[in-house]
Amino acid sequence: MKNLSTILATLVLVFAFMNSASAEDWKVSATAKKKLNPYELSKKNISSGKKVYQTNCKSCHGDPTKANMLPLVPAPTDLGSQNFLVQSDGEIYHKIKTGKGAMPTFENTLNDESKWMVIAYLRSFDKNKKKAVVAKAVVNPEVIDVKIELNVDADNKKLRAQLTGLKKDGKRVGLEGIEMSFLVKRTFGQLDISGEEAYTNANGELLIQFPTDLPGDREGQVDLLVKLTDEDNYGPVEEKRVLSIAVPTNPKNPLDERAMWGTRANAPIWIIASYVLGVIGIWSVIFLVLFQVFQLSKMRVKS
Amino acid sequence: MNDNTKSKETILSFEKLKQDILRPMQNHKGLELWIVFLVTVIAVCTWAYYVQLRDGLGVTGMRDYVSWGLYIANFVFFVAVSLVGMLISSILGLLKVDWITPISRIAEIIAVAFVAVAGLVIILDMGRPDRVVNVLIHGRFQSPILWDVTVITTYLVISTLLLILPMIPDLAICKKEMKNASPILKKVYNILSFGYTNTPEQHKHLHKMIRTLMVLIVPVGLAIHTVTSWLFAATLRNGWDTTIFGPYFVAGAFVAGSAALVVAMYFFRVNYKLQDYITDLHFDKMGKLMVAVCLVYLYFNVNEFLVPGYKMKSGDSVHLKELFFGSWAIMFWSSQLFGNILPIILMVNKRFRKPMPIMIISLFVIASAWFKRYVIVIPTMLHPHLPVQNVPDHFKHYFPSSIEISVTVLSFALALLIITVLAKIFPVVPICEIADQKGIDYKIEE
Repeated sequence: MKNLSTILATLVLVFAFMNSASAEDWKVSATAKKKLNPYELSKKNISSGKKVYQTNCKSCHGDPTKANMLPLVPAPTDLGSQNFLVQSDGEIYHKIKTGKGAMPTFENTLNDESKWMVIAYLRSFDKNKKKAVVAKAVVNPEVIDVKIELNVDADNKKLRAQLTGLKKDGKRVGLEGIEMSFLVKRTFGQLDISGEEAYTNANGELLIQFPTDLPGDREGQVDLLVKLTDEDNYGPVEEKRVLSIAVPTNPKNPLDERAMWGTRANAPIWIIASYVLGVIGIWSVIFLVLFQVFQLSKMRVKS
Repeated sequence: MNDNTKSKETILSFEKLKQDILRPMQNHKGLELWIVFLVTVIAVCTWAYYVQLRDGLGVTGMRDYVSWGLYIANFVFFVAVSLVGMLISSILGLLKVDWITPISRIAEIIAVAFVAVAGLVIILDMGRPDRVVNVLIHGRFQSPILWDVTVITTYLVISTLLLILPMIPDLAICKKEMKNASPILKKVYNILSFGYTNTPEQHKHLHKMIRTLMVLIVPVGLAIHTVTSWLFAATLRNGWDTTIFGPYFVAGAFVAGSAALVVAMYFFRVNYKLQDYITDLHFDKMGKLMVAVCLVYLYFNVNEFLVPGYKMKSGDSVHLKELFFGSWAIMFWSSQLFGNILPIILMVNKRFRKPMPIMIISLFVIASAWFKRYVIVIPTMLHPHLPVQNVPDHFKHYFPSSIEISVTVLSFALALLIITVLAKIFPVVPICEIADQKGIDYKIEE
């Protein structure tokens, strides 16, 4: 009995630990962490963030810094606490977007602007990083007709994309600090070859090394799709291209060989032979017997 | 006893033999009523098939998961029963077992009727029967379906020949004796007797052909049921994925076929008053034969279920537990008990090999054999490897619709009608072979 209770107590402890560990263990990729809040920490933004927070977050998390969250297990975090706010903008953004366990996903229920506004509102409780957050954010001019221009260096397998937009005065300028995705079509889904830091530089340029060992079709061709990772800023902007810089392969069609799974024409010889010979053998005996039956009447005794 | 009286006596007994066997064919009111009954049943059930043809297979209980239902189980049963022709008239015939002579034709009639309807059952299971020729036009040599269609057709042809060829001398007698027969029937007798007059040359020639066919039908008969089992065993599914399915089916077929033969023997004996020809001895011998084939079948059943049941691999265990303790348990265990274990225990006892008891046992064996096929086909279909999900609830169960049941009744009525008609126009007991066996001299005049 004593043993049993010890085991139970241990199990409960282990379970609780695992639970809390999993809550802490919310991995966010390095790229996602780097994302910065594109919106200023202005009074206007903070107040609109507060509205979003009160309709979507407060019911579970309570008021920031007040620790009046719902008594759930595991408990919802106090989002105004310093422990929480040590995370980067990107981390918080990712967590709002994906959700985990009891925390729902807001990917489709909140648009990007609202998500960033909430983060701006939460940052207003951050004692340490307030200034750092306000400090730097890339500001691109207002542009229309955003385009991706793609140049391929076939010899070195390098891809250079330039993201430009037309300013109001008719001048085309490069857009800085925008994340782009380079996707290669595979049999199932798309392979992201963008790498860790696929942000455009001051000229709106981004240089990507195409993987040297990536297999293509017989001619070494692959379908490439370059697009803006975040469609919220300039809408869906993309550029498609067929590249001939992958490794040519000679894929074998399993239907081309003679096999049990093949078509009728590609049946294994032995099975065709067994069938044909079997049918011919048996049916020739049948026909022989039929022929012989008709010989019977020739042998009759005429009365 | 001088030579004169002896010859007189033999002439008399050949006359008696002829009359005993030909009489029920000429005048039998009950038989005609029975044919009318069967035709009525067929007419009613054909309407059910018409509904299926008009509205498609949606009128059956079959859905995405159970796409092989009652029809395929019934098909396997029909193929199984038809194998009795090969067992009795070929295997035992080639072994020169002489007691089979009076019952070999009944066995052959059952074989022809059941294999013909088996082929038809497959077509009845098709939503688009007009596409059946595509099996031959586009069929793949790797697919058991093509082999099955080929082998069933071949078995039907050889069985028909094995029915007609040994009957040629009898038909020559019919041609002469059956004076009241319709003109069409007379023509049939005339054509099918091939001018047989029982010259020694003809006798020898005919029996050579029969022996050739007897040898030929053994591999074809084994193939028909082995290939039918491959329709299942060539599929990687729990309950079908087994190496002994071929011999297992063949053993089961011998049990079902022998039981069907015993029932037919009983009815012909009583209705055709053939007590002098189909005697207690024949039922006794058939009883012993059934014990033997049941023991073989039991042995295969033990292998088929004990070995996977001992290991209980994850996929198999779901299937086997359903059979052993689950919703299929009653059907599974009663088919084993009434179709296999109890018949063995009862029929080792001489009293149960008398005509009446063995006929009743055989009815149970036939019913169990039919349900056994049902248990082979449907539970496996209900347990696919990928989970059954996001489907309407009635996809997860199977119960044959009234249309399916009617079409299945149609197949039985059709098989019985073929047997009845064949027994109406042809002598069910071989006249000349019995005369040969008993050493009775006879002459067949043109």
